[in-house]
Amino acid sequence: MKFVDEFRDPELGRVLAAEILSLVEPGRHYKFMEVCGGHTHSIYKYGVDDLLPANVELVHGPGCPVCVIPMGRVDDGIAVARREGVIFTCFGDMMRVPGSEGSLLEAKAAGADIRMVYSPLDALRIAKQNPDREVVFFAIGFETTAPSTALTLKRARAEGVSNFSCMCSHVTIVPPLRALLESPDLRLDGFIGPGHVSTVVGARPFEFIPIDYGRPVVIAGFEPLDILQAVSMILRQLREDRCQVENQYKRVVPYEGNLRALEVMSEVFALRPHFEWRGLGFISHSGLRLSDAYAELDTERRFVVPGVRVADPKACQCGEVLKGVIKPWECKVFGTACTPERPIGTCMVSSEGACAAYYNYGRFAREREVV
Amino acid sequence: MSLSAGSTNPFAPACGSEHCITCGDDGVPMVIVALDPERGLALCSDGADRSTVETALVEPVRLGDRLLVHAGTAIAKLDSVLARS
Repeated sequence: MKFVDEFRDPELGRVLAAEILSLVEPGRHYKFMEVCGGHTHSIYKYGVDDLLPANVELVHGPGCPVCVIPMGRVDDGIAVARREGVIFTCFGDMMRVPGSEGSLLEAKAAGADIRMVYSPLDALRIAKQNPDREVVFFAIGFETTAPSTALTLKRARAEGVSNFSCMCSHVTIVPPLRALLESPDLRLDGFIGPGHVSTVVGARPFEFIPIDYGRPVVIAGFEPLDILQAVSMILRQLREDRCQVENQYKRVVPYEGNLRALEVMSEVFALRPHFEWRGLGFISHSGLRLSDAYAELDTERRFVVPGVRVADPKACQCGEVLKGVIKPWECKVFGTACTPERPIGTCMVSSEGACAAYYNYGRFAREREVV
Repeated sequence: MSLSAGSTNPFAPACGSEHCITCGDDGVPMVIVALDPERGLALCSDGADRSTVETALVEPVRLGDRLLVHAGTAIAKLDSVLARS
């Protein structure tokens, strides 16, 4: 397929791998974080890390929206879903995220009307087809997904769909990155920036990383050659003693982002004072709620939502995985008590979660040759 | 709901051969095969499946345009950004 095949060329991959090898300084260890779960998935699926020298380490960031949803938020969703007359809709991966008393999928099995949708538009369609029911859309995701929710809410208002509401759990990418950079237990040399979040927000929001923290950022696409080229570009910045935001994914990401998307988001959403992230705790101004102008479509104002707070299970080390402090296989329950079939932690649920990606593609080849 | 090819997990959502389209920072390249300009929607194909896509963020659009689609919304027009870069 156009725009895909060109970026999986094995010959070019070997050229880039050789270039990377020529850029690393022997004896120096490089630690780069791929912010986005989509990158994590591609790295394991295509074996990108096997093409890197052993002293170039990729660590996985917090950029999987399913993985960062805390258990209490799942419990809140289940409480709404169990209400009489409610049809609760959410994305597929969210269905299996464990709450303190089971997942949405288990609540569905117990009788709640919970339906998987592929887009907020699907949820709105269900609302129009069921005018006598209250249809709730459980909105998750970063700035990539938030415009989609915002447009659907505008559409719901324009079409007068009054039985539709949104339980907004959208999050923003910059505050957790700042929290990670402030973390004393993590030393990073550079970032592979999120590709499609940047399609919406542009490159500018990441400039604080080189300016305030002196770390290079390269916004990258999701094909194997994109990721290899991003690694090469970060290494080149370090080699040349430069530190800036570069855009490897120019074919999709404009520097200024998608202004229409930013406009619709600022109309429909407002920042929460703080939002709880799984493993990272409460982070200021990191979550979105519906703005006062859209209050009538806000599930949390339409119904009583318990606002449950639940500590993560003790055995689960998703927090350390999300911060890149440990690798998935270093978690005590990885691949034994916690598997994609029976996840304990969220990182094992989503196909974009570091643990699930590693479990599915990479768990048999852990050792790499030292350069 | 169909199952992912090769999935050992009976509860895994249908994600095709790539990432799950419903979550994460993911986008799917699709081509417009029909337009509904009044409602700001387009019917798009990824070569295998077709779905209704919101086009408000990438207007104006025409038949045959290639879009990057995330969660039912086109977030970029691929040909124009390629031309720009």
